[in-house]
This record gives sequence, structure tokens and C-alpha cells, in this order.
Amino acid sequence: MAETENKHNELGSILIQKSAIASIARQSTLQSYGVVGLAPKNLIENIRQLFNNDAKYGVEVEFDHDGLVIDIYIVVEYGTRIKSITNSVVKSVKYNVEKTVGLPVRRINVHVRGLRISNMD
Amino acid sequence: MSAAELSKLSTVERHKLVAVPIDGQGLKTLLEAGMIWLKTNQQTVNSLNVFPVPDGDTGTNMVLTMQAAFDEVATSGTSNVGQFAHSIARGALMGARGNSGVILSQIWRGFARALDDHPTMDVKLFADALEEAKTTAYKGVVRPVEGTILTVMKDIATQATVSVQRTSSFTEVLWDIVETANASVERTPDLLPILKQAGVVDSGGKGLMLIFEGMWRFINGDSLDKAVTEVLPLSDMDLENALETVEEGQDYEVVIDFTPKSTFNLEEYYEELSKIGTSIQVGEGDGIYRMHIHVPLDSRYLPIDHTMGLGTIQKVMMENLVAQMDERKNNKNPKLKLTLVQPDQIAVVAVSPGSGLSRIFASLGVAAIVEGGQTMNPSIKELLASFEDLPTDKIIILPNNKNIIMAAKEAASMTVKNVAVIPTISVPQGLSAMFRLIPDNDFDETVEAMNEAMTDVETGEITTATRTVEIDGVQVENGQVIALHNGKLIASTQTIEEACEALLIAANTIDYERITLFYGEDIQLSHVNDLADKIRTIYPSHEIEVHEGGQPHYQLIISIE
Repeated sequence: MAETENKHNELGSILIQKSAIASIARQSTLQSYGVVGLAPKNLIENIRQLFNNDAKYGVEVEFDHDGLVIDIYIVVEYGTRIKSITNSVVKSVKYNVEKTVGLPVRRINVHVRGLRISNMD
Repeated sequence: MSAAELSKLSTVERHKLVAVPIDGQGLKTLLEAGMIWLKTNQQTVNSLNVFPVPDGDTGTNMVLTMQAAFDEVATSGTSNVGQFAHSIARGALMGARGNSGVILSQIWRGFARALDDHPTMDVKLFADALEEAKTTAYKGVVRPVEGTILTVMKDIATQATVSVQRTSSFTEVLWDIVETANASVERTPDLLPILKQAGVVDSGGKGLMLIFEGMWRFINGDSLDKAVTEVLPLSDMDLENALETVEEGQDYEVVIDFTPKSTFNLEEYYEELSKIGTSIQVGEGDGIYRMHIHVPLDSRYLPIDHTMGLGTIQKVMMENLVAQMDERKNNKNPKLKLTLVQPDQIAVVAVSPGSGLSRIFASLGVAAIVEGGQTMNPSIKELLASFEDLPTDKIIILPNNKNIIMAAKEAASMTVKNVAVIPTISVPQGLSAMFRLIPDNDFDETVEAMNEAMTDVETGEITTATRTVEIDGVQVENGQVIALHNGKLIASTQTIEEACEALLIAANTIDYERITLFYGEDIQLSHVNDLADKIRTIYPSHEIEVHEGGQPHYQLIISIE
């Protein structure tokens, strides 16, 4: 799949990089209540993250004919209701990406990669 | 206890229920008071949403979370406040709904942790618990956004710590908290620009404030079942049913639309009005306020005089209730009695082409009706409006017409609510689906059951052709009667009787048990009765029913099941 998404208007074309969309998704995920961090998608990413800060860390963006497919890998605070948290991640990422980029979001998959335990009850 | 029951208790009884130091049972009463007051003001909190931000119904979500917490402990007799608080936290966690609900459950979790094995709670421990609640709430997010429920919780905790240095009275500490929370909520737009743009305060913060306010109101002897500054959205004003509660001597109904001045104080306005009359309601929408009141004959101009000083009056409606009541008794078209849904129940919206059918849908438990049918398709906006204000987010739409299914799906995609469209193409399909509705059941199961039930019924429609045409191999002359079976044209005849007969044969009526005729506005009841008699002679073992449908264009809609 292409690294950029093309949009045209009468003056020319607008290219939006996947990493731009990933940053937006990442920001709104981290602002969602209950999410305490993003997690690497795979081992390679885990290693790459050691050397430089990757905008796409923990977020995967794909273009498809009907819109964007976004995968998000998160760590959740222990002792919260995961279902509610992932629901609000989906809602706020969809809202923020669609609002700022103007491309329809077709799917958002949230992967809960771990829990952070700050207090045992 | 219900809101009314709690509100009726005397101050002494209230203090007995919440004795300091507070034990488990005392905390239960406080929790309940907070929950009820939040519920009373639920719509106010819901209306604070900055549409279309995520987490659409903060008030409802918080109420449901509190309700889950309360249900967990409702029957518990534990007096150990620590154990009790842990149960509350568990209930809140399990029932947490939406962003604000999750945060609320974290608040309870922190609160419970601080109380741990303490048998009772004094003010000092209360302040510590609030501090721990705040810390736990903040731990749940990497980048806390200020100007939200988190900020309000922080201010509450800080205030509590300061207050307990000054006083050991639980009531006083609670009052300080409520005052601080209120101020904190008012400040939220300064911290969060999106709130300022929308001209609202943060809904989650408001909800949290209301919970503490409820606790304080209870101890202070105030009522919990009537919101003092209740402003309803205009669509929620129950002006029709207000008629049923006409009191002796309150002969005139006055409704005033006005734009208030900036100095307008709703609380004072309510207070003044309550001296004049009864059944007071104030609603707001599109910048105008609408006031409704019942007053005695000789003070019928007082509300106008009073409102005049507070804003610009745009419209005044005055009606003699006594006369209206008489008329109502003789009226053959009583107002629809739609089902009132509770939060978390499933609500059904039906599109109905006629007044009679609307009543039948209403009697089957529909929560909202949108008028529309073959030649008058409702807009997406109308469909949206029909369920946006319902206090639940589980919505089922019955379009009851092929041409409306698309609009219904479109409406479903434009809301944060969970909406399912059952693709009913006719009224009988919609009615058949309604029989499977159990409002408290699982949403997905209900949708599945309704989808299945929809096809249990055969639909017939009898109408008059408006042009000469040939469709599906049937030659139709303008003005002829035509019969449609499940939307497909099957016969074109000279009379309604022939059309019915052809239809019943096409639908394999012999294999079914019941035939229901819904007659439209273009046909006489006597004609329909004759028709029903004829059908009875052809199908003697079938059950035959006749109902007024009131739909235009279609003389008959026939359901065969």
C-alpha cells in the first residue's frame, strides 16, 4: 500500500503521510482516559524505538478504498473497565482523525497489549 | 428508597441514617443520595455535551455507573466502611460506562483503598480518601486534560484537606466541597478551549459536583427529587400531559416564549412563579426560553407581567383549561401514549404512515413515532431527532417502508448511540417485529429476534393506480385498484374486493391463521366491515381483525400471519 494518501483539489494535490495520521491517532489515544501507554506492534519496532522516536510507534495506519484502517496497540491501567476504555479510544481517534484529516475512518482495531499495575487493591 | 421517600425524611431521621463517624450503612445512604440527585439532574448534564465529541451522554453514563455501584451494595448490611467502600468500587468498575464512568469508577477505587480496613470514617479519613481518589484518578491517564472531571476532583480533594483543619463537622466539610466543586466546574471553560467555544461547562465535572451536592442536600434536609434549576430541552417539555394534572382552581394555562436578559436568574424565576401557580415547567432551546404554568382565572396575567421584567417576551399562549378538558373528553383522537424508556433499556422508533397505526405501535411499546410513509419519507434529521433525546443509547429503528431504510441507516451512522435498523419494508413487518421487543433484554439478541420475526408475516397493500403502466407482467390502467404482495405488484382489478381476494390467494393465506386489515383514510369503515365479512366466508377458520390505520393513499394494509 502507498505511504501517502492523495487528495485533489482544483489547484493541485494534497498528500498525507501515514505517519501524520499516526501522530494524530497517537495523541488522541494518549489523551484517552485509562490508557497509560502505547506498546510496540512487533519486535522490530521494539528495537527501533530504542534508537529513535517513531511517530508510528504503537499505531499502524493503512489506506483502503473505503477509508482508513487504524490499528492501535495500548497498555491500560489495571483496575479499570477495559471495554469502556477501548470504546472511548475508538470514538476519540475516529473523531479526531476524521476532523483533522478529512478522510473517512473505516475501521479502528484496538489491541490491549498489557496492563500497568500501579496499585493492587 | 426512592427519591421521594428519601426527600420526605426529617432532618433528624437523616442525621440518624448518616451518623458521624460514618459506617458502611451511612455511606450507603450518602451514595444513594448522590446518585439520586445526579439522576434528577441527568438531563442537565447530558445537555452540556459539546456535540459531536466522544462520550455523548455523560449524565446517563455517570448515572448508570453510580447505579451499578449502588446495586452492588443495595442489599449489603455490612457496617465496616472499608469493606463497604470496596464493594462500591467493584460495582462501579463492573458497570463503568463511557469515559466519565471509568473515571468515576477510578475515583471510587481510590476512595475505597484509603478506607481499607477502617470500621468507620471520620472527616479526617474522608479527606484522606478524597486525596487518594484524586491520585488514583490521575494515574489512569498519561496526559491528563485539565478542565475536566479530573480537575474538579483535584479541587475537591484539596479543599477537603484544608477544611478538616478548620472544622470536624461533616456537614461543613461537605458544604465546602460542594462550593469548591461548583466554582471549579464554572472555571472549566477557562482551562479547556473547546468548552468555551461551545459555551458550556464540563459535563463530567458537573456530574461529580452533583453527586457531592446530593449528599450535602440530603444531610441538610433538602429535597432530592426536583431539580431546582431544571431547564428541559424544548422537545422534552411535557405540555400535553400537564393537562392531566390540572388542579382545582388552576383554570388557565399560560405559556410564554421569551429571551431572558443576561441578569436572568432561573432559581429566582422558579420561586416567583411558584407563588403564582402550579405545574411550572421551563424549557430552553435555540436561545429562547419557554415557560409553562397553570394559574387561577384572576391571576392569569401575572406570569406575563412578571416575565416582562426579566426579558423580551416573544409569544404568549393562554388557554382555558376547563374548556380544553371538556373537549379532550370528547376527542376521538387522544394523544399518543408512548412508552417511557429507562436508561439502559432498548427504545424502538417506528415510522408510521397513519394516526391509527401510530396508536397501535404506541400500544406495543414504541418509544417514539416518526410520521412518514410511501409519499412522505421522513428526513434523516427527523429520524435523528426522534431518538437523540431518549435517555438510552440502545435504539432500534423500524422504517416500515423500503424507501425509508436508507435514511434510517444514515441516521444510525450519525449518532454516538448504538442504533440498529431492522429493515422492515411494511407496517405489518414492523408490528410483527414489535412483538419480540423485551426492553430489558440483551440488545443484540433483541435485534436478532426482531429481524427473524419480521419475515414471519405476509404483507398486502391495496391502493389505487395513478397511471397506466405495466410492471412485473401486470397491466395496470390508471384508476384501477391494485394489490401488492410483500411490495410486489400482483393484481390489477376493478374493485377492492377483487384485489383483496387475489392478494389473499397470492399470499397463501390458507397456511396462516390470522388476517388483520388496517384501513386507510380513503375508505369507509362500513365498506371495510363488509369486506371483512366476505373474507370471513372465504376463510371461515381464520381470525379476522379490523383496525383503523389512518394511512393516506392505501385503502388497506393487510397483515397475514
